[in-house]
Amino acid sequence: MTAFIEIKDVLKEYGTATALRGVSFAVERGQWCAVVGASGSGKSTMLNIIGGLDSPSSGCVSMDGVDLCALGEDPMARFRRENVGYVFQQSHLVPYLTSVENVMLAQYFHSLTDEDEAREALARVGMDHRLGHRPSQLSGGEQQRVCIARALINSPKVLLADEPTGNLDRENTTLILGLLKRLHTEEHFTIIMVTHDAYVAGWAGRVVTMEDGLIVKDEPSDR
Amino acid sequence: MLFILLRQSFTNQMKAMFLMFLSVAMGTAVSASLVAISLDVQGKVSRELRSFGANITIEPKVEGLAGLAGQRRFLSEEDIPKAKTIFWRHNIIGLTPFLELEALLEVAHSGATSKRKVMGAWFDHSIMLPGESEPFDAGVSSVMPWWEVSGSAPGEGEALVGVSLAQELGIKSGDTVRLMGRDLRVSGTLSTGGAEDGLLVLNLNELQSLSGNEGALTRVMVSALTTPMDEFAYKDPDTMSKVEYEKWYCTGYVTSIAKQLEEVFGGSRVKPIWRVAETEGRVLERLTVLVYLLTLAALVAAALGMSTTLAASVLRRLDEIALMKAVGADRMGISIIFLAETFIIGLAGGLVGYLISLAAAHYIGVEVFGSALDQKGILLPASILSALGISSLAAWLPIRRALMVKPAVVLKEVH
Repeated sequence: MTAFIEIKDVLKEYGTATALRGVSFAVERGQWCAVVGASGSGKSTMLNIIGGLDSPSSGCVSMDGVDLCALGEDPMARFRRENVGYVFQQSHLVPYLTSVENVMLAQYFHSLTDEDEAREALARVGMDHRLGHRPSQLSGGEQQRVCIARALINSPKVLLADEPTGNLDRENTTLILGLLKRLHTEEHFTIIMVTHDAYVAGWAGRVVTMEDGLIVKDEPSDR
Repeated sequence: MLFILLRQSFTNQMKAMFLMFLSVAMGTAVSASLVAISLDVQGKVSRELRSFGANITIEPKVEGLAGLAGQRRFLSEEDIPKAKTIFWRHNIIGLTPFLELEALLEVAHSGATSKRKVMGAWFDHSIMLPGESEPFDAGVSSVMPWWEVSGSAPGEGEALVGVSLAQELGIKSGDTVRLMGRDLRVSGTLSTGGAEDGLLVLNLNELQSLSGNEGALTRVMVSALTTPMDEFAYKDPDTMSKVEYEKWYCTGYVTSIAKQLEEVFGGSRVKPIWRVAETEGRVLERLTVLVYLLTLAALVAAALGMSTTLAASVLRRLDEIALMKAVGADRMGISIIFLAETFIIGLAGGLVGYLISLAAAHYIGVEVFGSALDQKGILLPASILSALGISSLAAWLPIRRALMVKPAVVLKEVH
């Protein structure tokens, strides 16, 4: 039986630079996996390839039995909106849209917008009091919670988080990680989280360490 | 959501949106004005060019033995109103008849006699046309506006002397000349810069009466608004198919109007005055080409202006586009947002451009041609369609750029 997410011998080259050197890796459904490593170790590249934002130079990636390498640009976009929720380090929100509109944006590209549903998603992350605020009116932690609400709105199969707490203070980091923990334990979300912070990685159930484009360690978390 | 995105996009990029709107509106205004002019300019310029004088001449047909024997044939004055019954009657804006013959002229004060050409023409003469309530000016000034009469037009018992003839024979206003046994008072001199300067000119009906050629004419000069000659117009009608012939006959070429005049003037041979007709054709053709080139230039300039602004807007919004792609927007989803923006700009620009063109075309018509241009209804949909076309064309490259955005790269770079 194949794993929920499986990457095999993935090589990724950018011109003469090699970001991934034949990485193989699998994640089971409902697992929370942290990918750690120094800057330039290839962890974000691997996350982008799993989420279909980037494609490998060679090797293959599958999610829930779908070979992502066989998908063209538009089918990949469709797959992404139906299966993947993204949270980025810089809380990427459309600056001129309010919190609820930013969440509805993901709905719009998925199917139909439903403001009530978007409000509920924001309530799940404790942002129901900041629905009409624009990103510039929100703190870093609040922006990141809006991003999580946006990532969850289309009920994805996997949540990919690239340094989700990288720009946050410890209090907000704990808040966000607590949120992810709740999603993982209560709603059984599969989460792959890239971080360079050992404290953050410790919240995950599994920690994969990368160095120079290779996985050098793969072990359960101490926590 | 699309409405929210568009609303926010417009309110957050008012300057860029206004610049794009301005490009489209001005491009549409210039092109619509030029098209309005080009649609109406042929008639207007053709009318202006009619100051060149007649472009068609009708003469008696002389052929066979009569021709060989030099036998004189005449046109009939009764046929003149028929010129305004042909298919292209509304294009006949002037016509005037002449009778020319040679006669012995005697100058009373000097007693000098010589055989001279004499011409009969209508001055300040109108005719009634069948089915028309207003009289039609068939005077010589309607066709030969440059004829300059010093003194007064010849009435009964009077004659005009061409300036060359007057100089040669020492005739001046008030003198008396004898023609065909009748004394005529010289009412003035005539200067045309042409052959008429050497003629004695009488009122047409007086000359017909004096010479015993009542109702007879030797020439009718016609001034007609025509369609510029093209390759098809030069085709020999005898070699045309029925469809071709109908097309030729129903197009206002100088040749087809000449053919129709020949059909109504009995025993006539109608010829275009090619020097005039071809000059007009060339002027109109070049003017039309110039107008269309300017129209194209205006549209291209508008498209370039809009494309540049939109490209800059795409560059500013790269992170937004990358984010949309990251949350699942496909190429269609991204394209729809930009196309909707350009559609709105195109629609508004087209409408405003059309309104500006109305004013501009009116101004140009009045200032250049002395009368407002006839605004064609087709220009409104044409303006909006061309504005939408400009917008779509202008949006093509920037949208292509937007679709090439790599979210993984852009989102990593944005801080």
